[in-house]
Order: sequence, then C-alpha cells, then structure tokens
Amino acid sequence: MPIVLDSVTYTYGQGTPFEKQALTGISLTINEGEFIGIIGHTGSGKSTLVQHLNGLLHPTEGQVTVNGINLADKTEEAKQSRHMVGMVFQYPEHQLFEETIAKDIAFGPTNLGLTQEEIEQRVKDAMDFVGLDYKTYADRSPFHLSGGQMRRVAIAGVVAMKPKYLVLDEPSAGLDPAGREEIFAEIMRLHKEQGVTVILVSHNMEDISKMATRLLVIDDGKVLLDGKPIDIFMKYRETLQKAGVDVPPVSQLTAYLNQRGLPVSEEAITVDDVVASIESLKKR
Amino acid sequence: MLGNITIGQYFPGDSLLHRMDPRTKILATLIYIVAIFFAQTVVSYLFVTAFTVWVIWMSKLPVRLLWNALKPLWIIIVFTLAIHVFTSTGTVLWQWSFIHITKEGLQMGVLMTARLVYLILFSSLLTYTTSPIRLTDGIERLLRPFQRLGVPSHELAMMMTIALRFIPTLLEETDRIMKAQESRGADFTTGSLVKRAKSMVPLLVPLFISAFRRADDLAVAMEARCYRGGEGRTRMKELCYTRLDTVSMSILILVVLIILVMRFYAV
Amino acid sequence: MELEEMQTREREPMIVVSRMSHSYEDEMGNQVKALDQINLTINKGEFVAIIGTNGSGKSTLAKHFNVLLEPTEGTVSVLGMDTKDEEKLWGIRSHVGMVFQNPDNQIVAAIVEEDVAFGPENLGVPPAEIRKRVDKALDVVGMQAYRHHAPHLLSGGQKQRIAIAGVLAMNPDCIVLDEPTAMLDPMGRKDVLKTVHALHKEEHMTVVYITHFMDEAMTADRIVVMKNGHILQEGRPADIFKQVESLKELGLDVPVAAEVADKLRKDGYAIAEGIVTDKELGDALCLSY
Repeated sequence: MPIVLDSVTYTYGQGTPFEKQALTGISLTINEGEFIGIIGHTGSGKSTLVQHLNGLLHPTEGQVTVNGINLADKTEEAKQSRHMVGMVFQYPEHQLFEETIAKDIAFGPTNLGLTQEEIEQRVKDAMDFVGLDYKTYADRSPFHLSGGQMRRVAIAGVVAMKPKYLVLDEPSAGLDPAGREEIFAEIMRLHKEQGVTVILVSHNMEDISKMATRLLVIDDGKVLLDGKPIDIFMKYRETLQKAGVDVPPVSQLTAYLNQRGLPVSEEAITVDDVVASIESLKKR
Repeated sequence: MLGNITIGQYFPGDSLLHRMDPRTKILATLIYIVAIFFAQTVVSYLFVTAFTVWVIWMSKLPVRLLWNALKPLWIIIVFTLAIHVFTSTGTVLWQWSFIHITKEGLQMGVLMTARLVYLILFSSLLTYTTSPIRLTDGIERLLRPFQRLGVPSHELAMMMTIALRFIPTLLEETDRIMKAQESRGADFTTGSLVKRAKSMVPLLVPLFISAFRRADDLAVAMEARCYRGGEGRTRMKELCYTRLDTVSMSILILVVLIILVMRFYAV
Repeated sequence: MELEEMQTREREPMIVVSRMSHSYEDEMGNQVKALDQINLTINKGEFVAIIGTNGSGKSTLAKHFNVLLEPTEGTVSVLGMDTKDEEKLWGIRSHVGMVFQNPDNQIVAAIVEEDVAFGPENLGVPPAEIRKRVDKALDVVGMQAYRHHAPHLLSGGQKQRIAIAGVLAMNPDCIVLDEPTAMLDPMGRKDVLKTVHALHKEEHMTVVYITHFMDEAMTADRIVVMKNGHILQEGRPADIFKQVESLKELGLDVPVAAEVADKLRKDGYAIAEGIVTDKELGDALCLSY
C-alpha cells in the first residue's frame, strides 16, 4: 500500500499575479515500512510536498494516490485514505484547544466516527505511548503543561487516529537536547513497534542520519537526490551545499579528518563509529 | 487564498503621490469622496473620471494593483448596479415578465456604480502610496487637536500600526491551524450552520491563544526597546507640508469647486 | 598599545549580579524560586554564552539584565546602575538591548526601516540622527537592501537580523540575545551567529548569548552552565566541553570533536585535553599518528 506521487506539479495562486510554482513534476513512491527523511532549505518546496501526502493540497497537475486511490477524489474512500496519513505540523502544540488533555486527543478519533469505547481506548493508548500517565493527566488542562509535554499531547492527538503513515514537520524545533531525544525515541518506537511509515522533515541532519532509511533532498520544487542518507552525505557534499543544506556534524568531522590525511571511515554515523574507526587506524 | 488580500498594502514608489504628506492625502481623499456625491450629470462624471484617471496615472502604480483592489468587492459592485438597474421606475427600455430595465435605472445604476468604484479606487490609492506607518502618523497628527477632548490619538495610532503589522502573520497562522485540524479530521466546510459554527471552535481557540501569546511577547519586546507611550517620542520621518502639498491641495479644491459649480448649474 | 587598551576595557564590569535570587508565584499560588543565589560578572567587550536546558533559569536571568524583571533578593547592576533604582530604568535599557526567541513577536512596525527606528524614536533622538543610526544598523546586519520590505515576507533569520538592527539603533554597549536561533533553519542560524560575532569584533559590543546549540556556544569567550536556577559552572569553552559526561547528564549536547576526544582518552589513548573543534581534533590526531 504505497503512497505514489505521479508527476505532481503545484502552483500557488494560479491565475493571479502572485502565481508561483512550488513543485515541478515530482514522481515518487513511498513504500510501507520506510523511514524517510526530507531535507531542503526554507522555500525549497518540502512543506508544499508533504501537504500533498494527506490531501491538504491537491496537485495542479498530476496525482497523488494512496493504495491506488486518488486523494483528490470526492468519495468516502478517498477521505478514508487521507486519514491514513497523519500529519504533525511544526509547533503542533499550537493546535491544542480542548479543556482537558483526554478531550483534545479524542478530537481526531471522534471525527473518524468511532464508538465511545474505542475512542477512550485510543486516547489511553496514545497517552501511554507518549509517556503521559492517563490517571494523572487525562483531566488536566493541556495549557498548564511544559512546552515539551504540550508537544507530546499534540503528537498523541495524531497518533490516536492510528495512521499508517505519519508525516512530521520539524517535530523537535525549539526543544532542548533532552526534549528532542524524548520525542525521537517515541517516533522510533512508533516506527519499530507499530510499523508506522514515517516521513520526517527536519533541518537536523544528525537526527536524519541516525534514523532515516531513505533521504530525499528537495531543491527548487524538485527531488534533487534520493537514496541512503549516509551515501548522500558521503558522495554529494558539494551538491548539498549548493542546495543550501548541511551534512551532519559527524560526516563533517570524518570528511575533515580525511582531508588531513587520516583515513577515517566516512560511513560513520555515530560518535562511537568515529571512535572505533580512529582506534582501528591506530592499532594498525 | 488568504495570501491574496492586498487591501491596505503599501506599494513602495517615488511618485508625487508617494511623496505627499499623509495628512494632505487623508484629507484630500475624504474631501474628494464627499465631492463625488455632488456630481450628478454625465458631464460632471466625465470630469470626475478624467481627474481620477489622471491621479492614478500620477501615482505610477501598476494598473493590476488597482484592479486587485476592486476584485474582492465585485459582488457589492454588481449588486449596486443590479439594484438600480432593476428596481428604478421610468421609461421602460426592455421588459421580460416582471423584470424591466428603465432608462433612468440604467443611468442611476451606472452613476452609482462609478461612484462606488471611484470611492474604492481613491481609498486604495491612499493606502498603496502611503506606508502604513505614515498613514497612522497622519491620522495621529490629524486627531491630535482632539486629544484635549479625550481622544487617545497616540494609542489609537499605535494600535493601528500593530494591527497592520500582525494581520498577515495571523492570516498565515489561521491557515496553518486550519490545516492542522483538517489533518485531524475536522471539517470546516460542510454541514448545517450550527455544525459549522461549532467546527470553528478548534480553529478559534488556538488562534486566540496564539494572539494573546504574541501580544504578551510584543509588549515585553516593546518595553525592552524603551517604549513608554507617546510622550517624549520623536519620529524618524517627520511630517512636513511642502509646496507639493500646497499645490496638490489647491488643485483638489479647484476640482471640488468645478464639481460644485457643475451641480449648481446642472451641467 | 591597542591590546593593552582592550584588556583594560575587558576588565571593566558591564553587568554585575550579586547574590541574586528571583521567585514568583505560579498559577497554583506556590512560591517558585527560578533563580537562587546567582553571582556573575560580565565584563565589557566579552562574549558570554549561557547554556542550560529549558527551565534552567537562563531566560529569567537574562531578563534581569535590562530590567524586564527585578531581583527578589540581591542586586543586579549595569554599568554601576542598580536595576532596582527606578530613575535608572530607561538609562539601563538604552545601554543593554535585548533580542528574543520568536522573530515574529518582536517586530512592531510593518516596514523594516520603521521598525529599526522604533527604539531611537522612543528615546527621543532627533530625526536626522535616527536616520543615520537606522542606515548604519541595517548596514551592519546586512539588511540595507530590505529596508522598505514588509517584515512578514522575510525569512526567520532575516527577521532576527532586523531585530538586532533595532537594538543597534539604540546605540547600546551590550546586547543580550535570548535563544535567538531556536526557531530558525540552519542558514538563518549561521547568518545570525555571524552577525553577532561581527558586532562583537567590529563594534566592540558586549554580548550575552543564550542558546542550547553547542556549536554556537563554543564560539564564545566564556560559557556559563545553568541548572535549576543555579550557575553550575563557568569557564572557557575548552574547559566546559571536556566534561562530556556531566554535560550529557544535564541533557545538553557536546560538540562532536569534544566527544570523540573524550572517548579516545577513556579508551587509553593519549589525546590532549580541551579539544572542541574539528580542527583541534585533527591537530591532536596528526601529532600522535
């Protein structure tokens, strides 16, 4: 059940003087079970691209299908397909609106038309999943939580819809390193334990290189590169620079050490990989 | 959709109109709009049209900008035209069942529509050629004599400045929250009126919270930049009347006089 | 001669915080001590980074530097002026400028240059002088070309540079930046950091830079580490980042080179202490290789 984009072009404000083409002929298949990282500088079109994945935007040309169903169709089937793709926007805590945490998380499942028991079960599961104790937090106001907790409630609100695909736009923006790690541990669990296909838009190359199985580099409304993250970071450093994106700090370090004549493995992803590679050099 | 609203947006330029003092422009716009209502005959309308076109030409603004200003209001414009055309009594030109068009109605309709169009065009000319801050400055200065009567002119101007600054930001925010809630299955477009009103709650609550948070942040930021009300404040761009303003105002008064004379003699 | 001059200037204190505590009442009515017995001196011409997790009190501390908050106990003085002295309030604020996290919520005016003029206008500076200051400030942050633009059409990094220009136009001696890059993309972050360094070097501005990005903190002269309202440590970046484990325990990141050096050392390799940058690690490895 892949998401398939078939020569998708999107133009903002078509027919007005403000007309601007944001995406140009993108063809792409997102398979179930993948963990896809999407990078690109601000204005590259990556936000426009991900909004096509759950039908928030419909292509001006071409089509997006989930499991063969065109998301732009007006059928009940198409609506259900759109709900298979969950979307967590940047600063998702800004969408909270209910008096209690439980009610807010229940908003999505309620819109799906589920039974009362099923809704309650999903709220419990979702809260459990993001590490908020149901008994303690269910009836509290979401607005008295810390920033990191609010964000987890907002993510729980999307997770409770049990999407098969989950798109996250900069889920760690504004969090400190500890908060960032918590969020990513949850996303990783969602991917591993529940088999959710994750599409992560991020500026943080380190997170992408550690988690993603596939990387898409978007530039000027097109897919510039598509492949394994470490391959792209190793081989296309200059192309990335031209597209206005960085390589992860670890890759920067290994590249620099190689430049200095130290043949450290450039396939290193974590600090431990680098250490191991340096130590093996020294032993020789 | 929300990004296309251009009313009240400044279009930088260096025309004579751009260089005029905002006070002159505000007063002139008000006077001219009132004066248009005194124009009644076809000849006087031709005169008004000629003057309007001349002023637009002087502003050196792209014509599409003014077209954009009219576009969102086309329903009102068409409605005005229709009401006059279809409801006036007089010499019947064309009739079908209960619908009839009269000569008087057609005349009135065209004149009233023209009046409305000129009104919109002139006020957009004002906002296109005057930066929002100069506009609020102008209003503040014009209201200053009323300060003694309790009109808080500085505070009003500050409120307008901040509103102008934050309207685009809040529109973007509205768009984002709508999309976020739509992703959670919210439906803003179908259902009964009551259902639709209810569906606005998930949009309005976050929007209000965000607006209050922004207001809080902004108040702190303004305080940090030594803001303490209007007293003792100076301005980078001082307002000063120049010969340009005197000349412009004289031309306008001449135009108004001509319109009045035409009305008096029913030319 | 010049060096000597700089050294004397650096020894003069800009901000002195002495046994300062700050408490407030939360929504439930409990007293919360956000800052507890803080002692800190920031010298003229210094570039100090303050790091710590969310809730460590770093923003609360920064807000004391230009009297957005007042101490509950102890004192904060700026250029010898006590922040509790109401008569000195506007004097202090014109000496210490502040840039906040959210680029959208600190720009007041709908045109860039009018916003930069906002501060000096509040100070009652004559119009011709404001014009000069605004032009210079926009030059320094490299935003002269955008002076007639509407702020909402700019990128986050550009907006932050406008906010910095707005502070510069007030001619302060010190600029306090409270997580100015937290909401920006990598390009915006680089531009803002470069601008702040230019201010420090070329305009001799004292800089207090709050951040949780370690690659930014490591470019400072001195780092202050905060936790739960206390100052845990302060020192040169090399001294702070050699304590890899304690920083990680605090929930903070460490520059990659520092972490690699630390692990190599633990595994018994002779690597010099105080490595922070990639270059330093490269030097150390080449030496022993």
